[in-house]
Amino acid sequence: MGKFDRLSRRTFLHNSVAAGAVGGVGSLLATPLRAASDLPDPASILADISISKYVRADYRDLYGMSDDKPIWDDSKDWIRTVDWEAVRSQLSGTTVRFAIGAADQESAAEGLVPFEALSGITVELVPIPDDSFYDKAVAEFISGNASFDALQFFSPWLGDFAAPGFLIPLDDYAAKWNLPLDDFYDTYRLNYGFFNGQMFGIPFDCDIQMVHLRKGFAEQILGGPIDKWNSVPTYDELVRITAEMDKIEPGVAGVGLLGARGFWSTYTWEHVAAQAGMMLFDENWNPIFNGDAGMKGLETVLALSKNAIEGFAGAGWGENRAAWLGGQVAANISWQDSGTQAMRPDQSQIVDDFVTIYEPRIAGGTFAPPNIAGSTSCVASTAQNPEGAFLMLAFLTTSSIMAMNEANANGVAPGYRSVLTNPNLQAVSQPAEVWGKSLDYAWCAPRLPGMFEIEQALGNEINRALVGQITAREALDNGAAAVRAIMDRNGFYGSEPPVDFAATAPGMWVGKGRDLPF
Amino acid sequence: MRQSSPLSTTGAGHVAPDIFAAGGRRRRKWRRTLFPYLLVAPAVLYLLMITLYPGVYAIYQSLFDVRFQGWTWAGTANYERLWNDREFWAALGNTLIIGGIALALQCALALLLAYHAYRDPFVRGWRIIFLVPMLFMPSAVAFIWKLAFNDGRVVSDLLMRAGLVSDNIGFLSSVWLSRMTLIVADVWQWTPFLFIIFVAALQSQDEEVEEAARLDGASWPAIFWNISLPMMRPVIAVAVVLRGIDISTMFANVMIMTQGTPGGSTETISYFIYRIGFKTFNFGYASAISVVMLIATIVIAQVVVKRAFRSGSTP
Amino acid sequence: MMASQRRKRGESRILRYLILGTWALFCIVPVLWFLSIGFRPRTEIITPSPIYWPTFSLDAWWLLWGDWPMGHYLRNSVLAIIGSVLIDLVLAIPAAYSLARYTYRGRDDIGFYILSTRMMAPAIVAIPIFFLFRNMGLLDTVWALMLVYAAVNLSLVTWIIRSYMIDIPKELEDAARTDGASDLRILWEIIIPAVLPGIITAAVIAMIFAINEFLFTLLIASTRNAYTMSVALANFTGGSDGVIYNAIALAAFIAFVPVFIVVVLIQKHLSRGLTMGAVKG
Repeated sequence: MGKFDRLSRRTFLHNSVAAGAVGGVGSLLATPLRAASDLPDPASILADISISKYVRADYRDLYGMSDDKPIWDDSKDWIRTVDWEAVRSQLSGTTVRFAIGAADQESAAEGLVPFEALSGITVELVPIPDDSFYDKAVAEFISGNASFDALQFFSPWLGDFAAPGFLIPLDDYAAKWNLPLDDFYDTYRLNYGFFNGQMFGIPFDCDIQMVHLRKGFAEQILGGPIDKWNSVPTYDELVRITAEMDKIEPGVAGVGLLGARGFWSTYTWEHVAAQAGMMLFDENWNPIFNGDAGMKGLETVLALSKNAIEGFAGAGWGENRAAWLGGQVAANISWQDSGTQAMRPDQSQIVDDFVTIYEPRIAGGTFAPPNIAGSTSCVASTAQNPEGAFLMLAFLTTSSIMAMNEANANGVAPGYRSVLTNPNLQAVSQPAEVWGKSLDYAWCAPRLPGMFEIEQALGNEINRALVGQITAREALDNGAAAVRAIMDRNGFYGSEPPVDFAATAPGMWVGKGRDLPF
Repeated sequence: MRQSSPLSTTGAGHVAPDIFAAGGRRRRKWRRTLFPYLLVAPAVLYLLMITLYPGVYAIYQSLFDVRFQGWTWAGTANYERLWNDREFWAALGNTLIIGGIALALQCALALLLAYHAYRDPFVRGWRIIFLVPMLFMPSAVAFIWKLAFNDGRVVSDLLMRAGLVSDNIGFLSSVWLSRMTLIVADVWQWTPFLFIIFVAALQSQDEEVEEAARLDGASWPAIFWNISLPMMRPVIAVAVVLRGIDISTMFANVMIMTQGTPGGSTETISYFIYRIGFKTFNFGYASAISVVMLIATIVIAQVVVKRAFRSGSTP
Repeated sequence: MMASQRRKRGESRILRYLILGTWALFCIVPVLWFLSIGFRPRTEIITPSPIYWPTFSLDAWWLLWGDWPMGHYLRNSVLAIIGSVLIDLVLAIPAAYSLARYTYRGRDDIGFYILSTRMMAPAIVAIPIFFLFRNMGLLDTVWALMLVYAAVNLSLVTWIIRSYMIDIPKELEDAARTDGASDLRILWEIIIPAVLPGIITAAVIAMIFAINEFLFTLLIASTRNAYTMSVALANFTGGSDGVIYNAIALAAFIAFVPVFIVVVLIQKHLSRGLTMGAVKG
């Protein structure tokens, strides 16, 4: 439940200390419409968007962070390259309505204060229930009178929202205001940003699933220090060592898995099956994931599940994370935040005892680290102030703020090359280097209308296989039948599918045709 | 004193002047017969509003395929799909199994405890301890047992210390174990509820019948079984009906503890409807399920409620 | 007197206290353990082996009052519950009086209808009710919660009060009538005071059940405007922080204590109310 509901909404500034420092420019609620001449000098506001003001004090001390050791590149940081005076002259005094998950209303309000000062645009927050964000958002869209201009949401829904025309293309704005799109890794730009060849979103929370190992246990089994690329080169090897690690200590299981009903199981299976070379659809949108590669993936997951923590069949992100950070498992297959949050002593029992490795390979398969979940930021087609909305979203997703989110380990992750390759950032985010290098080969499920339903249906079948109710073959075949029905309902098998395969294919596996990195 | 119409049960009304005698009597008669209906009308109307409107709306919506782009007529398609839906029948079965076992267990335990408690004034003072589980919110109770069984492994640990098992138990991977966790949570919270009802019933029973049986040499268990228990029948019926209704709608425990794992075998009908409606957004189908359950419930209500209360409290 | 006679002729007291004691322990130990979860740091909750002697910490307490609008959740719970109980009493007292003291055609059927609404499982009407409130613009308001809780508990309140009213001696009413009082006055000045303990009991029972309401609240509430304690707990599992057990435990106790106090005060009447008159006296 946890990660899904809150993914796109933990913007930043969860720690009120940092927020307090920024709040000097004036409170969101009391902001009147501003004349351009009233606004303070942009440079001074930008100077306050800094490590010393945004990153938690205890983390700053722990890692020796300071403004002299920047974790981003100013030349790629949109807020520092855009011409704020131009923004002000064109849009000062206007209002943007931003749909925000209810739980994050306050942190969003605090975080947007500098934006209002920089641009002269007033932001009105529209709280939307987290649990029924999808339903409420769509209901608003359909009514033709959406009460918001901009929204951030779970990126697998991009197809569901873009296909019926609920969102407006952003290509023109991105060009006009020089959004550094090329700084995004291809997989994020293509999958979180584009639909059917047009840009609809700015990637926000940029995810990847990875494999993490406990150093102590793994070194014991492997007989030496861990080499991130070579120590666990294949999934067969991972199965072997998790079986061994399972036996070392009574309370510690070999591996943690996300096996709960719904999309959690889907993601775990997609993660492994992608390494086996699995693609979800062929060029006519027929489901082909129940072929050999998909089967190999599910069989591998089943083998891993023998060494998994006893509660894996009910583990969503929250349970899996708690078990990993609490030290209950010797390895974990989950998002990159397992690698970052485990570094923080206030959250983790396993500080300094873990490492994130490169994706293990499967013989006959490919190297395809999975870009799974994530969230994106979009503008509604009925927006009253689309350009202002775009600018606000560009502000929220700018690389400096995203880098500092990562430093705060609050679960919102950057997707910029300039950030993930930055050595200072890598020092405070353990998985960053492996993560960055993996992204050029990433696999990703296409953003299609109906994808949310597809992920649920698949996951329920896979969960049944994981607990032994049905065989792997039955699970994938049932899944294929269900997916086919959903795709059919969404018009994929008619004369004009809603999504063009050729336009979407590059994002499905950006590693195609690339040489292996090592 | 002038008598009003024989239909009235309340006796005499006001004295009216002779001139208006005939008309006044008729008006009074109407007012008097109407009066009890008027008293009960607000409650009935309120309930009708909350049950009738949603019921009609649900029936209407269930005849459509509800998509975001619009509603398309589907006729009985949703119902046909329901009939063939393995998950629906599984959810129904799960509800009956989990609910049935939990209810039976609660009743048996509550009777056992009540039997031992009702004769003892010492226990009365400590009664409040028995009530404690019932006073927590159901979501809190669900978290207690989620932590104890699954995340925090407390139950496994205690069993390991007792030497009964050698490794942490995977409650969520086994159909019956995960059902058991739901049953334990429900029994823990609600046995007290039945307990105090049964104790009250036992304590109010006539002493003399017991005395007589005792003088005849009967043992306490025999007395309980042959005399007290049968006399408690209406009370047991009330309790079972009340709890049975709530158990058949078990939702919070499922949502917090298992979400239906493993493979849907702990998915109760409530959770199933919620999942269909709010996770697949298929509101037409969810309404069809609701309508079917509504009809089933009405039928059961007619049968059970009438039987349970016929023998009980009707004056 | 009677009870001690029973006890004297009782069989093994050891067995009795053993059984009751075991159950009492089973009731209390999980509660105490959960309390200890609330007062420990997060890192001591999910560990390879459970920790039974944790270090004391007030982290969760500060978290609850600082990071979450706990005040709002409590306020919403209290408002929704009080409001719904008031609505119930206003509707139920006349209805109960009608069912208890009058004979008329259809009375039994009306009575059964009222009772059978308790069987309207939330899941059945949840979706239409969700749409109803959405169309009325009442989603995410405490008003919607009040209306729903009132509907869910009305049957219970009516029948409990009815059972108390049945026991009132007819002479009381007849005497008032011979004095010329109207029916409404009788209800207000005689019947209600006579069953006041029953009314209070019914209100408390309704309160307990209203606090327990989960599914409707989950669907109707979405922000702090309407989140109550019961649903708020389930939503403390969100965010990049996962399930925060110590906060959940403390929140559970914050909701528990007032209910506990009220029940202690009326516990004498509680059993009687719950049997709904199936037991005499």
